[in-house]
Amino acid sequence: MLQAARTKGLNLYTYSELEDIKGFVGNFDVKIKRKARYVNQDCNGCGACEEVCPAIGSNEFNEGMNPRPAIYIAFAQAVPSLAQIDMTKCIKCGLCQKVCELNAIDFDQKDVIQELKVGSIIVATGWDEYIPPNGYLGYNTYPNIITQLKLERMLAPNGPTIGHLIRPSDGRRPNKVLFIQCVGSRDLTKNTYCSSGVCCMISIKNSKLIKQHYPDIEVCVAYMDIRAAGKDYEEYYTASREEGIKYIRTNISRIGEDPKTHNLKILMQNTLRDTNELQELEFDLIVLSCAMVPPNEIKKIQKLLKLETSRDGFFKEFHARLNPIDTKIPGIVLAGVSQGPKSIAESISHARAAASSAARLMSKDKFRIALIRAIVDKEKCAKCGLCELNCPYNSIKLFDDGAEVNEILCRGCGTCLANCPSEAINLRYYREKQYEKQIDAILEEI
Amino acid sequence: MAGTIRAQYPSTIRPIRINCTGRVTPNLLIRAISKGADGVIVAG
Repeated sequence: MLQAARTKGLNLYTYSELEDIKGFVGNFDVKIKRKARYVNQDCNGCGACEEVCPAIGSNEFNEGMNPRPAIYIAFAQAVPSLAQIDMTKCIKCGLCQKVCELNAIDFDQKDVIQELKVGSIIVATGWDEYIPPNGYLGYNTYPNIITQLKLERMLAPNGPTIGHLIRPSDGRRPNKVLFIQCVGSRDLTKNTYCSSGVCCMISIKNSKLIKQHYPDIEVCVAYMDIRAAGKDYEEYYTASREEGIKYIRTNISRIGEDPKTHNLKILMQNTLRDTNELQELEFDLIVLSCAMVPPNEIKKIQKLLKLETSRDGFFKEFHARLNPIDTKIPGIVLAGVSQGPKSIAESISHARAAASSAARLMSKDKFRIALIRAIVDKEKCAKCGLCELNCPYNSIKLFDDGAEVNEILCRGCGTCLANCPSEAINLRYYREKQYEKQIDAILEEI
Repeated sequence: MAGTIRAQYPSTIRPIRINCTGRVTPNLLIRAISKGADGVIVAG
């Protein structure tokens, strides 16, 4: 991010949202809402305002585990390193204005709509952690059950616990930790897909980290299969087993809690053993390794860009095996997890491929299209607008003198002509008459 | 598809390739039936 911010000719708009998009490949008109930070560019990120602010909320970046003032810098590595005010928390006391030496705080700032002309668009919307329903595997019911992202923040040296592992119920260090894999993934009632082995590898990494910091903590991983597909991943998994991390192949059938100690009791059957007997084990802390899911916000982007999504909710690519980079809309390219769950290495390869796909398109002055496009006979057009309503590619528009096709956006599907009540639209090379002749010829020989 | 999975189908079925199922007009379906076809499958 920092490198991107420093690159000349590259404009970075953080804390911004896509508002509207018009046009087609090579000529997109994009409107971006740059949300008001209530702090202007003079801010140097010194953090003096954070110290005086009396309005306290919870810190989203640390999964709500520590307090955060209403004026804050998003996180330590945020680019640009500017403070911003959460107006839902701010009480407008003005203390930050008094303490700011650079006079950077401006309560009157408004959202700005920035208009841009762009040639191609790369969609890199990333992912969210799956939120289990309340009570599922004890989530949100028992305090000592946390998700992987919370654990990540806890283990981070700049996190809310400065890298110490604690139990949320009493702040003590746990002695026995269990990771539960495939929460919300590979489950027919939730998400059917596997998150590309990412949750497996995160659990292995975090269990190794815990073991390195506190060799006496017993770390177990309850799994269906460990999916360690990738360069050096299997070796990493084997190394973690050698370090003493226990892997139990099981499906957890029940989680209960001791109400006094808040310790967790699980009932499970080790499916690698011959016996059918159920074992009861006790743990201090349980970490749910949740699936990667598409963020909620992508629905808005999907609507604006008219993209398709696959069954898993991520954006649909041109072809799952032969072209997982481009979308069916020319000029719009996918990068990373926006297309489906990926590890960091895979995301980087995918993003680089996306960048070159977009650049290849832009490096040429010309864009070739096929001639199989809808054509309108304006004399027959009754201007009903059904074609505009039904076009999946937004390529046909109704004007005063009849419908008009944008030949770059049009993909030649013919939905408009099938819907046209006055038979004013035809498809070049695939006209109605041609099909009629085909039908006649076929039925003649029979 | 039928070809790649080597599925057998009666020789009296005659496929007509169309760009997109959205392209199929009622006119084509009715024409086929009125000219003597027993049925029309729109697949895609």
